[in-house]
Amino acid sequence: MTATVLETYQSQLESVIGAIPCTDALRRSAMDKALTAGLPTPKDEDWRYSDLKPFRTGAFALSKAAQTSDMPIQYFADKPAARLVFINGQFSEERSDLGTLSDSVRLKTLTNHCQVDTARADDLLEGVDALDYLNTALMRDGIVISVPAGVHVTAPVELINLVTNSAKAATHTRHLIELGENASLTLIEQYVGDATDYWSNPVMQVRMGEGARFDHIRMQSEGSHAVHTGKLYVDLDARATYRGTSIMTGAALSRLEITARILGTGAHADINGAALAAPGQSHDTITRVDHRIPGATSEQIYRTIADKRAKSSFQGKITVAVDAQETAADQSFKALLLDRTGEANAKPELEIFADDVKCSHGATVGELDTSALFYLTSRGIDPDTAQQMLVEAFTGDALIAVEDDDLRNALMDNVSRWMQERSKGGTQ
Amino acid sequence: MAGTVEAKKQIEEATKEYKYGFSSDIDMEMAPKGLNEDVIRYISAKKNEPEWMLEWRLKAYHQWLKMEEPDWAKLNFPKIDYNDIYYYAAPKSQDKPKSLDEVDPELLRIYAKLGIPLEEQKVLAGVEGARKVAVDAVFDSVSVATTFREELKKAGVIFMSISEAIVEYPEMVRKYLASVVPVRDNYFAALNCAVFSDGTFVYIPKGVRCPMELSTYFRINAENTGQFERTLIVADEGSYVSYLEGCTAPMRDENQLHAAVVELIALDDAEIKYSTVQNWYPGDKDGVGGIYNFVTKRGNCKGKNSKISWTQVETGSAITWKYPSCILTGENSVGEFYSVAVTNNYQQADTGTKMIHLGAGSRSTIISKGISAGRSQNTYRGLVKILPSAEGVRNYTQCDSLLVSDTSGAHTVPYIEVKNPSAQIEHEATTSKISEDQLFYCRSRGLDEEEAVAMIVNGFCKEVMQHLPMEFAVEAQKLLGISLEGSVG
Repeated sequence: MTATVLETYQSQLESVIGAIPCTDALRRSAMDKALTAGLPTPKDEDWRYSDLKPFRTGAFALSKAAQTSDMPIQYFADKPAARLVFINGQFSEERSDLGTLSDSVRLKTLTNHCQVDTARADDLLEGVDALDYLNTALMRDGIVISVPAGVHVTAPVELINLVTNSAKAATHTRHLIELGENASLTLIEQYVGDATDYWSNPVMQVRMGEGARFDHIRMQSEGSHAVHTGKLYVDLDARATYRGTSIMTGAALSRLEITARILGTGAHADINGAALAAPGQSHDTITRVDHRIPGATSEQIYRTIADKRAKSSFQGKITVAVDAQETAADQSFKALLLDRTGEANAKPELEIFADDVKCSHGATVGELDTSALFYLTSRGIDPDTAQQMLVEAFTGDALIAVEDDDLRNALMDNVSRWMQERSKGGTQ
Repeated sequence: MAGTVEAKKQIEEATKEYKYGFSSDIDMEMAPKGLNEDVIRYISAKKNEPEWMLEWRLKAYHQWLKMEEPDWAKLNFPKIDYNDIYYYAAPKSQDKPKSLDEVDPELLRIYAKLGIPLEEQKVLAGVEGARKVAVDAVFDSVSVATTFREELKKAGVIFMSISEAIVEYPEMVRKYLASVVPVRDNYFAALNCAVFSDGTFVYIPKGVRCPMELSTYFRINAENTGQFERTLIVADEGSYVSYLEGCTAPMRDENQLHAAVVELIALDDAEIKYSTVQNWYPGDKDGVGGIYNFVTKRGNCKGKNSKISWTQVETGSAITWKYPSCILTGENSVGEFYSVAVTNNYQQADTGTKMIHLGAGSRSTIISKGISAGRSQNTYRGLVKILPSAEGVRNYTQCDSLLVSDTSGAHTVPYIEVKNPSAQIEHEATTSKISEDQLFYCRSRGLDEEEAVAMIVNGFCKEVMQHLPMEFAVEAQKLLGISLEGSVG
């Protein structure tokens, strides 16, 4: 079954050959690897909580290139350094606003960049599983942001990935973020789309030089019938700081895999996130924090919520290599079940090969504290509001690391809206 | 760093020389090497088993042939050639001895070496006021001597080898055998079903509190012999039993396969306490030899308010693959798992538990302590699963790992799967080395480094050790660290 599905993808390869100069050989190699690897099955450990049906029952066509769309976009920054909009995986000049960003940083689409810089292909990750390989083989475009050493981009950059008119079609986008020594950047990344049953399969690669700092918000608000399988690879050099916060609310089936490799002493990675699964949704987050070098730290805070028939899963792995002494790595996961038919799964994993380390993880699963609810309602707060307050407080843990007040509040508003829609929907 | 070196030394001390490493020369009666229907028929015939038992074994064998060896555990070992193993070996004594005098003195000598009080010492040496311990000694698969039978009989407790039980209580065995661990449960369980040579059967009648701790000592003796034990314990309504299992094995260069199955059934208000000290031969300091221990242990808290408690101290075996589990079917049933796993040199342990909650109000506690030294790998792997029917469930899990060398690994792989929102699940895990602060504090109080480390390691394991029956705690502490003894109060 999956063989024929993959063969269909193979037949799509020819249509993208030449789309990004200097990547043709890489595409072909990746496609071969996808065919060898095969699509993931529930027997694959990382996929034990994800329903694979959309992948196995048939191939997704390639989404059609679209220059523009009139779909509304919610922006989070009042004064962004730039707004970069991709529609069906292709850069939309019409809807983007480059601002003055390109004055201080190197900003190019992947297609443009490869034309001037043939070495670019070497920077592109081929992949580690079939979905990565498909992304590499079939990607249409993406953004390349290179912040030179010492440059601080103070205003946030907004990156919007929009999918439209793509019923049973896939979009494979590849973004590259590079931060030079002591450079800094704030990125607000969004994934949105219409109500068609599209597949969004983006990969983002982040490379951080010594002392660089990257504040990263990732919001997955795809359409309600979409499948989202996002990948994020972050490499941190010495003293680099990555602060990532992801919020997952959209898609029928959503997966986010974050792989952070700590390659330098004194680096720190914050990998936080919240996933709110409305009725029937399935959310899965996989984090891998790989401490390869001594003296680095990482922290993860995840909060997930599952409503009726919803499934919320988290698999977080911390690996400490043989020589990575003096590592401190923490992880906290909490799941909240809002309904009897909800489901929560957790697999917090520690793999430790060094002795001078401090690593911990904690995980809890439960429902809303009834005594807290009772207390609030006894104070005259109506039950819906009381629930909302508790859910906001619960989710807030994962958003607290966002330093910008306005931005954090905007994210909190999203949570509130989610709760309001929930009570409106009569899911009580 | 000095502390680390010391700690390392202590752990190495504890496990370096296999204290029970000797083998004896008793003639063996063996089935030919390899596994096929004939060997299974041979085993079954040797045991005078009824026809249904043979059929059951053969069915299991064919099931096993269709299965694949699991590879998901964090274990590395050469491929096992299942046709290069003897599946049946028994000591030569054909007639059952009437008394201990009739037991092969060579056997008794081994037991004496092991410190098993089979003869006069009905009470373990040095433990004041110790309760009586009934020993069903298993020597390479066949139960040769059983003590305390009479006293147990008076209480109505059935405590005998499983092959006897198959003949004497076929209905009961048939009813419960493989009811907790189905034949097709996993590769090693299926293998065990096909070839198990002997084991223990315990039945505690309604309302009976077993008058003594029941105990089976296992030994692997013959070269290239797999040990396929089968234990079945049934605690009827309102009964209580504490069962002790201890293992030592002689020093061998070749890897020996051990695939036991233990099944526990607790009916309404019954309680089973199952304690294990596992000290199979771990291989030498270069990782040569050692036992491969693939064990399936599972209990079913079938009745309401029933309780099953697993306590294990794992210090031996080259490979440990073991997940004593509880299926909490009954309302308000309780499952417990307390574990200390020490690995040294090239040992690999992948161990943990599964708590499957089906019954409303069921509760489970998991406390796991892993200590890794040398070049060993120590993995906790556990599952807490709450099914929709399980209302108001509580689980608390704590997994701590202590690393005493920079070449060893400590891993934690817990799975939490919840399908009922009323469940309250907590999981905590930490990994660290002995803190310099603690060492410094102890030393400033006048303890030397060795004593300080001993104290800290002991404290680290205390939550588990205190759940061992007193008789066992002694041996367990010995195993944890011979050099720790002096400092333990």
